[in-house]
Parts: sequence; C-alpha cells; structure tokens
Amino acid sequence: MKIPRLFSALLAAGLTLATLAHAQSGMFRARLSEVPVTPQTYRTITGVGEVLATLNGSTLSVTGTYEGMSSTATAAHVHNAPKAMNGPPIGAIEVTPATTGEISGSIELSAEQLMALQNEELYVVIHSENNPGGELRGWLLPRDM
Amino acid sequence: MTNKKFPFAALAVLAGLALAACSEQPSEIAVDTGPRTYTAAQAESGAALYGSNCAACHGASLQGSPLGPLLSGDDFLAKWGTQTAGALIANIEANMPPGGNENLSEADYASITAHILATNGMIRGQTELTAASTIEIAAYVAEQSAAPASQQRQQPEAPEGLVIPGTVENFVPVTDAMLTNPDPADWPMMRRNHFNHSYSPLDQINRDNVADLKLEWVWSMKDGDSEPAPIVYNGVIYLINPSNIIQALDAASGELIWEHHTGPANRQDMRNIAIYNDKVIQATTDSRLVALDARTGEKVWETVVADVSKGFVNSSGPIIADGKIIQGQAGCARYIVENCYVTAHDANTGERLWEFNTIAQSDDPLGGDTWGGLDDIFRAGGETWITGSYDPGLRRTYWGTAQQKPWAPPSRHMSINDVGLYTNATIALDVDTGELDWFFQHVPAEALDLDEVFERMLVDRGDQKLVLSIGKHGILWKNDRVTGKFLGFKETVFQNAFTHIDPDTGLVTYREDIQNATLDEWIPVCPSSTGGKDWHSMTYHEPSGTIIAPLSQTCLENNAREVALVEGGGGLASLRRFFEMPGSDGNMGKLGAYNVDTLEEVWKFEQRASYHTGTVSTAGNLVFAGDLDRYFRAHDVETGDVLWEARLGTSVQGHPIVFAVDGKQYIGVTAALGGSSPRTVPRVIAPDIQHPDNGNALYVFSLPD
Repeated sequence: MKIPRLFSALLAAGLTLATLAHAQSGMFRARLSEVPVTPQTYRTITGVGEVLATLNGSTLSVTGTYEGMSSTATAAHVHNAPKAMNGPPIGAIEVTPATTGEISGSIELSAEQLMALQNEELYVVIHSENNPGGELRGWLLPRDM
Repeated sequence: MTNKKFPFAALAVLAGLALAACSEQPSEIAVDTGPRTYTAAQAESGAALYGSNCAACHGASLQGSPLGPLLSGDDFLAKWGTQTAGALIANIEANMPPGGNENLSEADYASITAHILATNGMIRGQTELTAASTIEIAAYVAEQSAAPASQQRQQPEAPEGLVIPGTVENFVPVTDAMLTNPDPADWPMMRRNHFNHSYSPLDQINRDNVADLKLEWVWSMKDGDSEPAPIVYNGVIYLINPSNIIQALDAASGELIWEHHTGPANRQDMRNIAIYNDKVIQATTDSRLVALDARTGEKVWETVVADVSKGFVNSSGPIIADGKIIQGQAGCARYIVENCYVTAHDANTGERLWEFNTIAQSDDPLGGDTWGGLDDIFRAGGETWITGSYDPGLRRTYWGTAQQKPWAPPSRHMSINDVGLYTNATIALDVDTGELDWFFQHVPAEALDLDEVFERMLVDRGDQKLVLSIGKHGILWKNDRVTGKFLGFKETVFQNAFTHIDPDTGLVTYREDIQNATLDEWIPVCPSSTGGKDWHSMTYHEPSGTIIAPLSQTCLENNAREVALVEGGGGLASLRRFFEMPGSDGNMGKLGAYNVDTLEEVWKFEQRASYHTGTVSTAGNLVFAGDLDRYFRAHDVETGDVLWEARLGTSVQGHPIVFAVDGKQYIGVTAALGGSSPRTVPRVIAPDIQHPDNGNALYVFSLPD
C-alpha cells in the first residue's frame, strides 16, 4: 500500500511543479480599452492602449502604452478578477501623468495571484483625473491568444 | 383611474393639429384650472436636468438621435398618449439615464417629464406634476388655438395608399408548392425557404469569379429606421421601406413598378414582408396586417392584430405556412389584461384562425405556476419579435420567444426560480390549430436582457430533424424538432452568465451573483444586450453542412430598477453600460462557421466593425455579410477568406438576397440605419467607426456580361 501512496504523492508533486513551472514564465498581453460606458459617458471615457507583461519566477514585469485618454492619467494598478468582472487591486505600476504615455513596473505575485494570472484573472487599470475609478482596462491573456 | 374626457379616438386629430416640437418651450402654453398638473417653474427646472441627463441621446429639442428615440410629436403621443403622466415618470425613473444618476430624485424626474410635456406644447396646470398623477398624457394635448402657430410642428402631410401605380406584367400566383421548393431564381421569403436556410442554389457567381462582381444598380430608399429583407419573385423585388412603405421594383433594371404607403408614416422599421397567391402580405409597425395586390399594389384587405394604443407594435413580418399567415407580436412589456400572441390568419381574407399566448396564465396546467404567483395582469414579455420557420412535413411552425419583462427578476418581483413559461424558449405549434406541441426553454428566468428569440433554423441530417438557434447569449442550441429534445450546444463567443450548462439536458446554471442580484446593483455579464447574436440571421450551407452566423462581441453591466405592480405599468427597467469583450482584442464583429453535426467551429473571421446583415450562402461556395463600417464582403464558405468586397454609402444592414433574372445571377443588399442595441452598443464602444447618418438604399451586384 505504501508504494502506491508514495507514487501518488510523487505524481501529484510532479504535476504541481509542472504547473508552477508553467506559471513561472510566460508572456502576456492586454488590450486596454474603456471601462463600461453609456451614451452619456462615452465621450468622457476614452482611449486605447496595449500592455505586455513578462512573468519571471513570481515577478510580473509590465510595460505598455496608451493614448487618447480624456484627462491626465493619475495611477495604474493590476487588479484581480475573472474576465469582465470587477476585483481589488493587487499592486501599483508607474504611469506617465498625461493623456498619452507609458506604464511600467513590476509586482511580486503570491501563489494565488500566480494561479489567477494563469486563469486569465488579472487585469490592468489606468485611472485618470476625470475618471478616478478607472478609464482604461484590459485583461492579461497569454500572448499567443 | 383615467381621464375619460380624452378618448384616444380623438387623440390623433388633436395630435396632428397641435403638438409642438420646437427647440424651446412654447411661451404661451394654455393653463388648465382642472386636474392637469405641471407648472412653468417645474418645466424650466426640468429643462436644465433634461439638458444634462437626456439631451445627449434624445436631442436638445427632443428630436431623437441614433442613441435614443424622439420624445415629441405624433410618435411620442402614439406611444404614451394612453398612459398616465405618473407612468411616464416611473418609466423614465426606472430606465433613464442609461448609466443611472444617483443625484436625480423623484421630483427631478417629474420635472424632466414636465419639460417634455411643455416642449410638446401641452397644457399645464396650477400645481406641480408628481409621480402619483393619474392623468393620461393625451389629456394634456392642447387644442389648435392654444398653441402659437409659430410653434406648431411643420411637416408635410404624408401620402397614403397607392402613391405610384403600376402593374407587374405576367404575374403568376404564388402557391404553397412554390414556397416549399422555391425556384432557384427566386428569394420568395425573408430567409428564402421555410427552413430559414438563407441559402441560394445559384452558382453562376462563385469562388472563381466573385472578384469580378460589379455594381449593377442602386435604389435609394425612404429615410428612417431600416433593417429590411427584400423578397424576389419572378423578376420583381418587393422592398419594405421605413414608414410602412412597399415598393415593387424590376429586379434586373431597378425600375420602380408601383409604390404603396400603408402607413403610419413614422420612419419606423419593419424587417420583412411575405408573398402568397396574388398578394403581398405586410405587417405594419402599429400591429396591423395588410394585403396588397402583388400585381398593382392596391390594398385588398386589412386587419388589426393587436391594439397599438396598448403598446403593441411589430418590427418583423409574417411567414406563410399552408395558406396561413403566421405573425408574431412585439411590445408586450406592459402590465395590461391583453396578452402576447402568435396568431394565424387566412392569407386570402386576413380572418384570424387561431392564436397562441406565449405567457402562461394562472389557469395554465403546465406553466401557470411558473410566474411566482403573480396575477395574470403582471405577467409580461414573451414577445415573438423575430419571424419563425415552418416544416410542411411535420405541419409545425417554430418560433423563438423573448424573455420575461421587466428584464431582471427583482424588477418583476420574482426570483431566479420563477422561470415564466413560455418565455425565452423554442415553441413548436401545430399549424392547423395553434396548439403547443412542445417547448424548450433555453434560459429560464432570464435576468439580463439576453433573449433567445431569434430565427429557428430547421435542418435535416440523415434521419435527424433538427432545430437550431442562437440567442443573445451566443450559444448555438441544437434540438430535435420532432420532440424538442436537447441534443447539444456550442458557445460561439465568450459568455460568463452561466457557470455550467448540463451537456445532457441543456439546463443552465446562472453565476451566483446573478442568481442573487438585487435592485440597484451593477451586474457585469458577457455578451451584452446586442448579443452574442441578434436579429441578423445565420445561414445554413447544406453542401458543406456548415452554419455561418454573424456574431457580436461586447459586454454589459446591468442595474435592475424598481417597478411597481400597478395596472398599466411594467416596462424594461434596467440601467446598462457597455464595454469591449475581454479577449476579443477590440473586435466586435465575428463570423463563425460551425459544423452542424459536431457543432465544432470550422473557421472564424473577426474584425473591429460589428456585422449588421444576416449571412447568406450560395452553391457558389460563398457567404456574404455586411458591416457597420460600410463593407459588404464575399467570403469563401470553407475558409472564411475574403474573396471580394465593396464599400457602400453607409452601414450595411438588412438581409442580403441572391436571385436570377433571365438566367443572370444577382446579389442584393441594403445599406441602412437605425435599430436598438445592435446600433447603440457599437456607437458608444467604437465611436472610431464613422458612417453617414443617411443613405438607406438597395444595392444590386452582378458579373460583367
């Protein structure tokens, strides 16, 4: 009985390691587009952008550009929620204080956040003066998608 | 309680005489000493609130825009005349502005309503208007002398009847056999055959030569909302225009033969008409059926399907099945005694033969207890606003039904367990009696304005007799059309409404937060109310066993609003805001091709612009589709590769047709404007896509001689 149990444990460990190894490297991309808009707000929530992210170990390095925002960018964060849902921020990244500019930065991901990244449940938000709750956002998806 | 002094019969006369739709409120509005209420100060206060909350969509002068309907004139009165001012306030408060405004109080909504009444030149009172008002809007209409002449609406009188006479020569009456097996040269109904295949057996234009396709002729159409499906019979195109106008055109030359204005001249949209025997059958936007002589355009008979003053309307026309006109119904969202029916009529006389109520009443043994114990009057929705299909062999007509109304369970005082038969379902009706043979409810207790109402496609594969459909959730459903049994599904776009779809039964499980949603809570979901898929129908290319569907990739956040259970109330009652679908890379438009046996995706073609035509396939192994960005394209039916494209005058919208005259094949398609969610959502998500705001027209292409 011991041998099968040991084998099972080793097999499980191997799978976990394989999963982590997969999670610990990779390229991700997000298209930044407007947060939800209405006919009232679509002229004051504007812009578009692209984010590239590289995972190295547990470090997620983020770079990107954006343009056409309605007002000066004030902050950028990585948030945690499934696609199209709303979730809390897990880390801040640098953003050019302008309507067109760049974002960059690195955040350390916990094991849960690594899993969230793998499950396409991390997204980038750029906040602005006119839209402090967020003006642009986009989910980080495997780059080959 | 309603004001009986102003019956609706008198309304049209008064409305035509006195409604003002000017840019400013009339300064000399009549003042009533009786029960009518709203004050000048209230209207003035409402003007400022209207400007900041409503004008962006409805126009500074209430004239409407592509984002919102006009709020003045006869159209406004036709919709709201028999409803109370209190109901109008409640409706605006429940639905507007689309994204909500927490700073607006009930008194503010009353002021906005007062501004609307004042701008329409309606009589004001001596006390303030409130949500408790039980006075009908029609009672506010001023007599002609009460409104300054300079503020009266100036518009030419719309022509009626046979405006341009003519004769279709050598007309041969259309038989049931002709509709069951259409001549390859014809496109005699909305989607060409009873099975809704939108497929032409013509192959003169094919993959090898489609690149040579050239414009043969173009015909400008009437202005207004337009999503037309022309029909073609024996070398003549019968074309439905906005404002309930039908034209007969020589299909080869584009010459006008006759033109009939049935009315009302309201610039509203009717998707399709039908032809049978020697008559063109027309459903009107105000819920009538009218038969025109197909040879001359003269009216033959007319019958009322439902009372437009109760809110009933129509945007799609009938299908002809075994000599009967089968007609659906829209505008069933109001809490009234009248119900929502599919009706059958004698094609030669208009006589009503049977009706099927899509809303189970409390005494219905099957569905009576599925409405949360609500009184029958508060059971609403279940519209059949898209034309169904017909199997002559089984003698069954298949229709999709829309969801319950209001849109969200908390608004309709129900739970997610109150499934509300027979909404959001496929229904199979006996064409002889209208009795329900079977139903399959795709999404019970629908919660986010994602109805499953669109065309039912009938496909035979070996011994299997299938019915397939895609609703706004973007899920391709496959059922046995003899029994209704669920056979399979395919998610064609990203959806997150359901956490599980049972592979054996098709039973959906809503996400937990959707199940537990409350009033005034923003709920995100993909797809949005523009679908997945919307009214733009899909095609079945039988030679390859492939369904090619025009799909849309956007999402929404929905906020359910409170609706009181009062007679005459009801409505839709949600605020919405929209966003790009994650993973779509900003591509709203998608053509998806699916193997009808396996439901696997064979190919896809994605682009920024949303699609606004149905798809049409041909024996030339082509599939045609048109988009918001004015492109009309031919794709290889096996790969999706673009083989030909033309850029038209404005957004390409409607239903392409394929036909032949004297042995020469043609492709027709309409450029058109107007519509609800499929137009509103792209406009706010992708304002980078621009097109002219006029240009309704029919374009016809052919190969060089």
